Amino acid sequence: MNKRGVKYLDFEVDKLTKSIENVATGDSFVTEISAFKQSDTKFTTKSSGWLFDWKKELALSDREVYKLTIQNNPGILQGVVSFTLENDHVYMPLIESAPFNRGKNKVYLGVPGNLVAFGCRLSYQKGFGGFLSFHAKTKLIPHYHKTLGALPFSGQLMIIGPLQSEKLVSHYFKS
Amino acid sequence: MGLIKEPKDVDFFVDPRLLSKTEKEAISKYIRDYKKKMIKGKRRKKKQAA
Repeated sequence: MNKRGVKYLDFEVDKLTKSIENVATGDSFVTEISAFKQSDTKFTTKSSGWLFDWKKELALSDREVYKLTIQNNPGILQGVVSFTLENDHVYMPLIESAPFNRGKNKVYLGVPGNLVAFGCRLSYQKGFGGFLSFHAKTKLIPHYHKTLGALPFSGQLMIIGPLQSEKLVSHYFKS
Repeated sequence: MGLIKEPKDVDFFVDPRLLSKTEKEAISKYIRDYKKKMIKGKRRKKKQAA
């Protein structure tokens, strides 16, 4: 348990297989997900191109914040995500790919898929059966539906149910 | 299922806000209904198999 009473999962690092792909070379890399810590906030500053204030996010008492890195390259954050644990599912208030993984010249593809799949796994581990929800940007709703299998719920709210959740988890996490 | 890739010209963001009380209730109802449906489906399959 961390200082704020949020119960992080009882693992140090979670490995994901065949996870992200270098756009230029087509090579894929094994990634890892671990708790985002205070010491990581120096890598996610606005001056280095990050859009959200992850230091502020980490300070919120109801958030669990995680980072995605490539195996054996823990110093470079590929993306960051935060979750809240609702009564019966996991909600994802914030997700961001690293500045170099955004835009037409992004270095790696697949970062959001990794992070969302991790959220689905978290949902299973917390006993929520794989349910995960988030508010999508309106124009991205079709993309979330197509790539992640998320279903439009109400307005911008989308939900990933057990069937799709299981697919994402079994694809990325080998037990 | 291949690598789950976003299109090159698309960046994934969510709308950074929390769930309202109404949304939480609606999702809870959806989850309850989904679970009920699953249980019913399993019972029906068991009956058919018997």
